[in-house]
Amino acid sequence: MLEVQSLTRRFGDRTVLDEVSFAVPADGMTGFVGANGAGKTTTMRIIMGVLKSHSGTVYFNGTQLADTDRARFGYMPEERGLYPKQQVLDQLQYLGQLHGMSRADARTEALQLLDRFGIADRTKDKLESLSLGNQQRVQVAASLMHHPTALILDEPFSGLDPLAVDSMTSLLAERAATGVPILFSSHQLDLIDALCDNLVVLAGGKIVASGTATALRARASAKHVVVTPPDAGWLREQPGVRVLDVAGPRALVEFDDEGTAQRILRTAVDRGAVTEFAPQRPSLAEIYREVIR
Amino acid sequence: MSTTKLGTRPAPTPTPSTGKQDAPWLIVTLREVTVKIRDKSFIISTLITLALIVGSVVFSGIMADKTTTSTIAFAENSSTAALVTSANQLALDDQKNIELIANPVVDEDAGLQLLRDKEADLVLTPTPEGFSITGLSDVPANIQSLLADAAETQALDSNAVKLGVTLEDLTAGSTVTQVLLEGSQERNSMAMVMGFIFSFLFYMSAMIFGMPIANSVVEEKQNRVVEILATAIPIRQLLAGKILGNLILAMGQLCLFVGIGLLALNMMPTEIPFISVLFATAGWFLAFFLAGFLILAAVWAALGAMASRTEDLQQSTGPVIMVLVAVLFTGIYAKGTLLVVASYVPVISSVAMPIRLLSTDVPLWEPIASLGVAIAAAWVMVLIGERIYRRAIMQTGGALSWRKALKLED
Repeated sequence: MLEVQSLTRRFGDRTVLDEVSFAVPADGMTGFVGANGAGKTTTMRIIMGVLKSHSGTVYFNGTQLADTDRARFGYMPEERGLYPKQQVLDQLQYLGQLHGMSRADARTEALQLLDRFGIADRTKDKLESLSLGNQQRVQVAASLMHHPTALILDEPFSGLDPLAVDSMTSLLAERAATGVPILFSSHQLDLIDALCDNLVVLAGGKIVASGTATALRARASAKHVVVTPPDAGWLREQPGVRVLDVAGPRALVEFDDEGTAQRILRTAVDRGAVTEFAPQRPSLAEIYREVIR
Repeated sequence: MSTTKLGTRPAPTPTPSTGKQDAPWLIVTLREVTVKIRDKSFIISTLITLALIVGSVVFSGIMADKTTTSTIAFAENSSTAALVTSANQLALDDQKNIELIANPVVDEDAGLQLLRDKEADLVLTPTPEGFSITGLSDVPANIQSLLADAAETQALDSNAVKLGVTLEDLTAGSTVTQVLLEGSQERNSMAMVMGFIFSFLFYMSAMIFGMPIANSVVEEKQNRVVEILATAIPIRQLLAGKILGNLILAMGQLCLFVGIGLLALNMMPTEIPFISVLFATAGWFLAFFLAGFLILAAVWAALGAMASRTEDLQQSTGPVIMVLVAVLFTGIYAKGTLLVVASYVPVISSVAMPIRLLSTDVPLWEPIASLGVAIAAAWVMVLIGERIYRRAIMQTGGALSWRKALKLED
């Protein structure tokens, strides 16, 4: 497990991170969301030791994160960077070696990853001759080469086509299943919703929400869908109920508390047919919109 | 797209490496070297330089060895024929590589006709004062002076016989011996040529291998691969590998050039004066080159880290190139006190001290002291360079000044 505790970083007079604390559990993936300039990249750079924090600590499996730990992490920086004029296989091999792999291991691994991403036929090409999407795949491969003990990925999905996103997510899921904490940032909330077991939401340099998706969903205001034919208009007169939307027999409502919910259910059954009475689980995208509001 | 394979692969083990692992700086060094020696333009420029070195050695050898022959027409006359014979003897004694071919004719007019027809190069005519040489458009200076010397000896000889004294009596007290306080003339001219070659080699290597340090640093910074590198290995090792890689390339190329040059010289039939001095100084030159190159490498690395784009380098490298030009000119022109001072200034000493060693006998402590100064300067520069490199390499945004770069925090 990767833990960030009270990170603070200023650039000049501007505080970019203010006492940021969250955890990246070893099971499942953690989505890192926030508006542009919220401090996601700064946080990731501090975790990777590229930038120093003014205060706060990062822990890895209970001990303070050291450079030797970081050397075994996989990192994909916000601004993509590899050697444009070098052959794809050569540079993956070089990066693998720098991460402590032997030459032969690095070569084998690079070939496997490139094959998985469907660009096995481009190994001898210069990086700059590849399309941007394919360059992105090489970049992803670079961060996975050495079987990292943790993955810090800044916008790993931007610029990838749907097929590449699929192969990438299945790869990440595999790695996550081996107990590797994965933190990735993204603006694609639907992707986060589909992939993430945990969510960290950053706004203006402060954590506004963090935890497992289940806990966050439970905490988010619970809406219910109530379907009572022929017409659901009667719900408007009930105390403790806020009706958000009514369309014929179907209503979207918010109850003040669980007691109100039970009372309304009984009333509805007394009145006639109830074809649906269900809490509506908010998507993480909705939670995100709600917490940063 | 290999979508069918997804999820079928066994879960990866978190501990991969089994084989041999190299130290990070060594991996960086090897990469710097292999990338460069696979570079076509590098291979071509090295081969061209080698060809130029061998070519110039062979050419100058041929030129030095070439014998000037000249056909001299003269009206049959005992003094003219004797003069040509003694001139040839004189040329042989003094190793002057001049051969005069005697072409006796009936009279002067016949000789002049041969000259006009270009069948003779010169016409020799006796005059009351001695001789005159007629050429078509010029008389080569070396033949003119050879004939003059021969004529003088001949005249002295015959005059001495007439006066009843020996030639030695006549020339007694007229010998002027050359003594030079600083080396000998031959040694000085050798020192000048070698000084030029040393300075040029230093200048060239510093440009060919120093500039790429700055370029590869700024390239890694510009495309942000440095963020990945910096998380994988300590940034100090990255810098060390880079400098070492280019140093190996520079020294390798230098040894190749110097070695092939000396080999070519050795294979030429001409005797090279002071070859032992040359070999000893070449050793010093390599040692001084190493120290000078280290200083420059640290400066190049810092410059690369301070720039934000390759274009920024064009401005910031100006002062370094000025220093290099100063080195070049010191090597070619510095004399006396200036040269002595220069031989202690780091970087410039890389050529100034070897030149002093070539031209005069310098006490051993001097090159050692100067090398010590250079190594100390290199050490300080590498530390400063590393400090700037480590801090500036992660900065994004515009180019940095030296002052700003030194003030940066991690």
